[in-house]
Amino acid sequence: MSGDAGSSRVGVFLCSCGTNIGGVIDIPRLAESARKIPGVIYVEANLHTCSSEGIAHIKEAIRAHGLERVVVAACTPRTHEPLFMAAVEEAGLNRYLFQMVNIREHDSWVHGRERESANEKAEYLVRMAVAKARFLEPEEEREVEVAGSALVVGAGVAGMTAALNLAGKGFQVYLIEKEAQTGGLVGKLHTLFPGGRDAREFLEPLVEAVKGSDMIQLHLGSKVAKVEGSIGSFAVTIQSGSNTLTAEVGAIIVATGAEALTPEGYYMYGSHGGVVTQLELEERLRLGSPIPPTVAFIQCVGSMESRGRTYCSRVCCGVSLKNAVHLKRLDASREVYILYRDLQASGVELEALYREALEAGVKFVNYVPEEQPKVAVGADNSLHLAVHDTLQGASLDLQPGLVVLATPLVQHDGGRELAGALRVPLTQDGFFLEAHPKMRPVDFASDGIYLCGSAHSPKGVAESITQGLAAASRASIPLTRGVVKAEAVTAVLDPDKCVGCGACASGCAFDAIEWTPVGMPRVNETSCKGCGVCAVECPVGAMQLRYFKDTQLLPAVRAALEPAPWACETHPERPVVLVYACRWCSYAAADFAGVMRLEYPANVRIVLVPCSGRVDFSHIYQGFSSGADGVVVAGCLKGQCHYVDGNVLAERRIEAARKALEVLGIGGERLDMFFCSAGMPRDFAQHMRDFTGRVQGLGRVDRAAPAFTSPESQDAEVR
Amino acid sequence: MYQVTEKRDVPPNIKMFKVRAPAVSRKAAPGQFVIVRTDERGERIPITIAGAEPEEDTVTVYFAEVGASTRDLGRLGEGDGILNFSGPLGNAIPVKGYGEVLCVAGGVFQGVNLYLAKALRGEGNRVTCVQVAKGMDHLFLVDEAREACDESYAVVDDDEGGGLKGLVARLLDEKKMSRVFTFGPVPMQRAVAELASARGVPSSVNLYPVMVDGTGMCGACRVTVGGATRFACIDGPEFDGASVDFDELTSRLRYYTPQEKIAMVLNERGVI
Repeated sequence: MSGDAGSSRVGVFLCSCGTNIGGVIDIPRLAESARKIPGVIYVEANLHTCSSEGIAHIKEAIRAHGLERVVVAACTPRTHEPLFMAAVEEAGLNRYLFQMVNIREHDSWVHGRERESANEKAEYLVRMAVAKARFLEPEEEREVEVAGSALVVGAGVAGMTAALNLAGKGFQVYLIEKEAQTGGLVGKLHTLFPGGRDAREFLEPLVEAVKGSDMIQLHLGSKVAKVEGSIGSFAVTIQSGSNTLTAEVGAIIVATGAEALTPEGYYMYGSHGGVVTQLELEERLRLGSPIPPTVAFIQCVGSMESRGRTYCSRVCCGVSLKNAVHLKRLDASREVYILYRDLQASGVELEALYREALEAGVKFVNYVPEEQPKVAVGADNSLHLAVHDTLQGASLDLQPGLVVLATPLVQHDGGRELAGALRVPLTQDGFFLEAHPKMRPVDFASDGIYLCGSAHSPKGVAESITQGLAAASRASIPLTRGVVKAEAVTAVLDPDKCVGCGACASGCAFDAIEWTPVGMPRVNETSCKGCGVCAVECPVGAMQLRYFKDTQLLPAVRAALEPAPWACETHPERPVVLVYACRWCSYAAADFAGVMRLEYPANVRIVLVPCSGRVDFSHIYQGFSSGADGVVVAGCLKGQCHYVDGNVLAERRIEAARKALEVLGIGGERLDMFFCSAGMPRDFAQHMRDFTGRVQGLGRVDRAAPAFTSPESQDAEVR
Repeated sequence: MYQVTEKRDVPPNIKMFKVRAPAVSRKAAPGQFVIVRTDERGERIPITIAGAEPEEDTVTVYFAEVGASTRDLGRLGEGDGILNFSGPLGNAIPVKGYGEVLCVAGGVFQGVNLYLAKALRGEGNRVTCVQVAKGMDHLFLVDEAREACDESYAVVDDDEGGGLKGLVARLLDEKKMSRVFTFGPVPMQRAVAELASARGVPSSVNLYPVMVDGTGMCGACRVTVGGATRFACIDGPEFDGASVDFDELTSRLRYYTPQEKIAMVLNERGVI
């Protein structure tokens, strides 16, 4: 560490939160101890620091005492940090010269029955915050201009809806369609379900509106060849045949839809003209071609498989019901069978359609995947369909003139290509993956890119329109504002240390590492989301994360663990557990544990990190050498990382670190990785109790062991 | 022990050693490397040979102090001994008459590049050399390059030429290059190779994935080239730039970063 001791004009504000904190923590005693912390020149205790009076006091003290850093020890920064940061800014300090520490949810609310230990913990937590605050640096939230235009890829129902909505708001829209006509999959249908409306009739006004809009530039027979840049200014290369066009857009909507699986190899498809897909049936119905007197639909052809396409395509049952009813209406004497595995007709309208089919005399036959129906061709080239009806326990032998295969919607090559160009993820099933299934269902994790329609997963028309409107609405937020605030907590590179290996770039889930003209990495601060994964991936320590630099985190960890010279430890023999908690999951879970008063031992000290992927071996080792007897790295549940896969990378590093701790004699079992979500406070508290118990069993770490002493200092002792 | 007979500090973090190793010195050729171990607890470090002086029994190497082991190596002074200095390993780059050639090197690889450039010029090639560094103070061997090559350029940032890519593209477009040779960080070599491939010019890249024994026994340094698995230590380090699977290489290079970080932290604290 450098000899620089950081700022020595720190002001500390201690909140009693009525009796929420003050009822457990002796605030005057805490203030007394805070005054002794090196660098602290002002300490104030408030009944409620967040009250208008408290805020006014912070501002006054900054001016009156020339404070350079402000620390507030109160509740969780997850709710109150913006308020205090704004106050600090109003008083003329950069908002990032502020540090908040949680002595309520993480202390008084969960350690009420260990009053003495809770008070001691509060002292450590305040020292931790001051230590970090001293090394904080001013950070800027740069404003990025947003171009008032958008790209919509795919001119199906979802894409056209989104495009029209944005055009209606006055934004220029580039609408790209790979086919020679608009309409997507719906354009290939005869009628829609439920309701049985004519598909072309339905599409016509939508297509007319798109073609008639001054604000929509429709590019048919085109594709997106390349995308560069980030939210606000994406440079998109559109390729139409041999012509290319470059457009600058502020936001992108993916509405590339899906295609129906061609059932090659299933039920003699392709070798007998009487076996057709649902789309082929729609085509026959549209042209009014003759339909034989017996028709059988087979559901789940190529979907819900035990491996590969395991998903339910959702729309196929509705389509078969609709077509079955239609066939019955055309000719009530026609025999219509639906061979299903698991009929999905949920909701008001589909249930009504199912009843209508029953009333119309459609026969439903249940089969199980272990006994697939069999299609064979007789001597006269007629089709024979054998199926075991599980409900009747009988085998049926049908002779349908037409077998219709309900195949799932699947991703197409165009979609996969676009995912590559946009650097956005696909699910295992090949569909586009949203940022969060509940909270951000039409966003991608990368800012400025949105998603709607069957590109996301198989969807009906109504849902595609809803999503098209939702995506347009989301996209219009940055487009309307005209500027976006870029994240101030971004990665920052020390070019002197960098060796150009590119580990940072390959570790970045947001493609936020660009290359300088001489081929060295450079952080694109607009794309960077601030997870800190690159800082840990960098093998030479050239990359750091602002507000969570090693020069800030390491002093904080030392202060959180090392006893102050003026304070005596109540339980020197009691093991201490340090927790690096991700702000999106475990830190929040600890907050909720506080709200629910779920107790765990007071010798657990929590350090906030943006992502478990930010935790480096240096932080773990610093923990052990400064006094921790156990270290927990807590990240989001797998598949739920806010930064795509920071938690998975963290787990890999923890495995390596455990081995190193084993070799060093510290013990690999003292390092723990814990996955949880913000909604798992009980699991969090339970895990803290369990792990602390395990560490208790292991006893304290011997800090005089060779694992902590350099050969030089050992020599010095000998001398 | 192999004695360090000369040590020079070259711009930030880079050291030049001349090491007395008579056998290596007699056989070394451009493109080959040595595997060095500082002491009995040291990691095996592959370092490209940047020159051989058989008359003095010495071999010249340049290395960047980027990790625990190279830092330990850099702490040695003139007169100190290196425990192991085995080589020359790997294949020499074929030095023959190509005609017009371009040699592009980034970072620590300037010495290696010059070693090759001189040899190529000795065979009658017209050699253009491009030196790439992240900043003016990281550039070295500039005068030597100017003297040794027919033309030489240094790229440090975005002045007019559009950076490294702009310069290499311009040189490839203006001259009828028969071959491009490149040494340096993988992303840089990849960029150069792609520019060459786009113009149908053959390129040589020089790859140093994780190596252990350097003699083809362990398989750690495998690289996919033209769909086939090759070992950088015995099949390379030089490979056809158009055929290397760079995505796989980049991902494999990251494999041991957790361990490298652990070693660095413990080395910094003096524990190892």
